[in-house]
Amino acid sequence: MLTTRRTLLSLTLGTAVGAALRPAFAAGEPIAIGAAIPTTGPLSLSGKQYFNTLTMAEEDINKAGGINGRPIKFVFEDAGASNSTAVSAFVKLVQETKPPFVFLSSYSTQNLATAPEVTKAKIPVMYAGGADAVADSSGGWMFRIRPTDSLAARGMAQFVRTLKATKPGIMYIQNDFGQGGAQAAAKLLEANGMAPVGSEAYGQNDKDFSAQLLRLRQKGADVILTFVYPADGALLLRQIKALGLKMPVVASSGSFLPASVQLLSPSDLDNVWGVIDTFVDPSVGGRMADFTTRYKAKFGQDGDAYGLAYYDGALILAEGLKTVGTDPEKLRSFIASQKSWDGIGQTYSFDDKGNGVPGVVVVKAKPGTKTLELVERIRPA
Amino acid sequence: MADLIQLLTNGLALGSVYALAAIGFVIVYSATGVVNFAAGQFVMVGTFAGVAMLLNAELPMPVGYTAALVVMALFGALFYLVVYLPLRRSPIVTVIIGTVAIGITLQNTALLTFGSWPFRLPSPFEGMMVEVAGAVISVHALAVVAATAVMILLLWLLLHRTAVGIAMRAVAQDVKAARLMGLRVQWLLAFSWILGAVLAGVAGLMLGPMWFADVNMGDPIALKAFAATVIGGFGSLPGAIAGGFFVGLAEVLGASYISSAYKDLIAFGVMILFLLVRPQGIFGEPIQDRG
Repeated sequence: MLTTRRTLLSLTLGTAVGAALRPAFAAGEPIAIGAAIPTTGPLSLSGKQYFNTLTMAEEDINKAGGINGRPIKFVFEDAGASNSTAVSAFVKLVQETKPPFVFLSSYSTQNLATAPEVTKAKIPVMYAGGADAVADSSGGWMFRIRPTDSLAARGMAQFVRTLKATKPGIMYIQNDFGQGGAQAAAKLLEANGMAPVGSEAYGQNDKDFSAQLLRLRQKGADVILTFVYPADGALLLRQIKALGLKMPVVASSGSFLPASVQLLSPSDLDNVWGVIDTFVDPSVGGRMADFTTRYKAKFGQDGDAYGLAYYDGALILAEGLKTVGTDPEKLRSFIASQKSWDGIGQTYSFDDKGNGVPGVVVVKAKPGTKTLELVERIRPA
Repeated sequence: MADLIQLLTNGLALGSVYALAAIGFVIVYSATGVVNFAAGQFVMVGTFAGVAMLLNAELPMPVGYTAALVVMALFGALFYLVVYLPLRRSPIVTVIIGTVAIGITLQNTALLTFGSWPFRLPSPFEGMMVEVAGAVISVHALAVVAATAVMILLLWLLLHRTAVGIAMRAVAQDVKAARLMGLRVQWLLAFSWILGAVLAGVAGLMLGPMWFADVNMGDPIALKAFAATVIGGFGSLPGAIAGGFFVGLAEVLGASYISSAYKDLIAFGVMILFLLVRPQGIFGEPIQDRG
């Protein structure tokens, strides 16, 4: 009996001292947040980054005391590579985990398919795909944490003028993202008196782009704009050089992710500009340097702008949860009211369609290297 | 003219890879009656065997390529032992579904082992280009066409000029008769899987520098190799070769001269046409039950 009492006393004392000495670690019932992102299949190339950054955000938020003392816990469901898998992943989270908030994929086709379920569930979500059509069907519940395709297209069209090119050709992946971006760019270029001389598509599984590239050359393109996914963006840049094409290339963000750049040689990046979300580089300093250094140390790879958007998104969410609690309607209002939320990658300002990123940046590799440098920031009117 | 030369070279290089994958398909089908829907993943495994040997183990190219093909031979043998043998008495549909399941398993095993980032497999002809009539052509693409021609020649010699090859053809024609003639049928079936895997390995090693090594590269190859096999004639080696080149050229020339948006429609449209009008393909014989 005595032993039991002593043991109990020691345990109680130990726990109390431990709790007092511990930093601000969160305790109690975790707040479950859903994340329906692609962790297997062809889309996992970027999906893995979201998994990593959300995991990192979870640790950081909990280390800093969680949500008013309660830990946050991301519950992942694989959105795979098809729309139906993405929808099922979201529905499963809603039905089984019942989260107050969910992160969705960065692939617009998947998000377009999931949008009706989001409206039905009445839960705020964040997503990263660029297709403008997603915002139109969001019902006010979806918040975009990357630039829209039309914004990126505006940035690209604006930069074409800087290059003094007059006959742009467009190459795009045949899906909502690629078609949307290509159409927006074509419209803007035409309005600026630089109607594209050609617009060529490729399929998601295509690996040979010679026919499309040679057609653009035949049509006299003096610059090529590309709307591509990461791996095929790198392959496209290599094939442009292999075919001996000399015109400059203005590429969408996928080509400049670390996963893509590591596949290229410095000569592949010669005469190539990237219009991307944000410049993710330790040289930026401050919180960016801290994020990139910690990410690399933890996962053994360079972090990218897409993953960083999810990390920032998690921090916006954490602030929302701390401020208004777990009520989905209040969370939605909190996020919608953010007009200058100072993230690591962006200053987020959500408009009435839930689009939170107002600008893009242009980067280029330093001559003879694969080290990127910032060329200019574009915040189209 | 320069553009046409460039397109033809790229189409033939692409067709070579499809042809090798289709031959692997046909060899296994002829010997075992199994349509191996993991054939595309076999090519992916071949590419990643190259990644493991050349990039991870940093072996010199000749040693690395040889080691990768040895790995593929072992992989073919393992597939025979672990997948085909236990399922060989099951209905053929079960075996086919088994190959689909194994294909998915292979893809996800590669994802877990190598991660989601693609790799750049080096080529012995890295950065080498030749100019022909104004067309800039990659030496690697020419080497792929030449290597495929050599592989086809070696395969023909194996099947028609060696005892093992003749025995394999006997098994493909009539398993029971081959067994009655005293042929070691199980060994020959195992050899068919090994040969199919090695050919897929060659395709994968040639493809790595052209496409990047990507854990998801198997699916498009399987689809195109299947189309090539149907067009050429299921079970026909010359058919697999002709079908492979047809699909490769149709893909590149179709994108250039018709529309890049509908280029796959050409290859698969022709495949559907063959299934409707001439299901035995170009070189296939009218379909009948195997002996």
